[in-house]
Amino acid sequence: MIVGAAMGGLRTAESLRRFGFTGGITLVGAESHLPYNRPPLSKDFLAKGKSLADIAFPIRHEELQAEFILADPARSLDIDGSTLGLESGAKHNFDYLVAATGLRPKRFSFPNDLNQGRHVLRTYDDARSLRGAVAPERRVVIFGAGFIGLELAATLRTLGCTINIVAIEEIPLAGILGDTFGREIRRRHEREGVNFHLGLSIEDLIGTTRIEGVVLSDGTELHCDILIEAVGSIPNVDWLTGNGLDLSNGVLTDQTLRVMNELGTSSDRVFAVGDIARFPYVAQSLPARRVEHWNIPIESAKWVGRQICHQDKPGLIPDLQTGERFNPLPSFWSDQFSISILSYGEPKLANESPLVEGEISDEFIMSYRRDGELVGIAGIGMRRELNKLRGEIRL
Amino acid sequence: MIKIQVDMEKCQHYGQCVYEAPNVFKLNESDKLEYTATADDSELANVRAATDVCPMQAITIVD
Repeated sequence: MIVGAAMGGLRTAESLRRFGFTGGITLVGAESHLPYNRPPLSKDFLAKGKSLADIAFPIRHEELQAEFILADPARSLDIDGSTLGLESGAKHNFDYLVAATGLRPKRFSFPNDLNQGRHVLRTYDDARSLRGAVAPERRVVIFGAGFIGLELAATLRTLGCTINIVAIEEIPLAGILGDTFGREIRRRHEREGVNFHLGLSIEDLIGTTRIEGVVLSDGTELHCDILIEAVGSIPNVDWLTGNGLDLSNGVLTDQTLRVMNELGTSSDRVFAVGDIARFPYVAQSLPARRVEHWNIPIESAKWVGRQICHQDKPGLIPDLQTGERFNPLPSFWSDQFSISILSYGEPKLANESPLVEGEISDEFIMSYRRDGELVGIAGIGMRRELNKLRGEIRL
Repeated sequence: MIKIQVDMEKCQHYGQCVYEAPNVFKLNESDKLEYTATADDSELANVRAATDVCPMQAITIVD
């Protein structure tokens, strides 16, 4: 049973077959669509009128031999009783279960809590709704200056919208890539006509039936037709409650992605994949963390597929016998206007971030060190040089 | 022998594929992707991995 029918779920099913799993595979999804690639939603999907078919993952159904149950989210899990309950009331039994339910956007509530004109971006349906609302000259307020907020700012600005970004942080992306990198991103956005209102929050909405503006925490009023909330995400783990798992931030797993109960005992049948998995570091003495980057579902799915296939063949369990542990290299990229960011590792862990090559105002690479050790690299351009350094990162 | 296609309209030259299948993909001196259109069957696992990690989903293994 794979709970979550997005990229992580699909890659888990593929991995299971690749490592020789011959049992039945069922994927359960909350959305009504087969797995598709989300990153284009904030970019080409909006800008170039792409369709769902353009972003759908190819599925080799003959090889995969998997059943998809769509538009029926998981609502309850009883690990001891091996039962998964869905919203429709259907119950499914399982030998192994993989939790790959991903994230949902965080939402705010305001005193004047209007709905019309408000958007988030996570799913295809979200993107289609936003695309229907966007037109040249539309005034857009984006709450949040993370990757989604900045990518949307660039895409919608290119489509001719007026863009105001409101964010609680003083420097965009500073928490992820550091102050220097973040200031440069802001400069490049401002050059394209994006307006920033930083160090501020949205206190209330203006309008009677639909959004006409927002009130900021310093009293400023910004008029707008569209408000996009891009202030981070919440892991979809509610359905896992009642099993004694640590769900304080995603679901806590051991070094092999088996979920753990509050006593620290690993399940031998339940695994977590993707954004919701909070897994330990290997080289750093830091608490377990979740990683919300696009390659983590892929890496974790591959790992879990192999774990399950080797579970019943003790001679073949690589992790337990050799001490091999899940240790992916997080990787992310972001395209905003002509800015093309590529990064590896976890730059946010660094306590120093020297420039390695290039010029901040042009193409450059920054390295991110924690107590001298390389924990991340990031840059704009200079791909070949950047890719050479990725093997030196220790997490 | 496996046949490889990259949709160069989609490709953004991130070079993730280079790391997974260095015998098939490389970034040239201008940081642009170059690849071999065919590869030995022994490269299948690597090319599949490259296909999976391509952010733009631009790589196809032609059956």
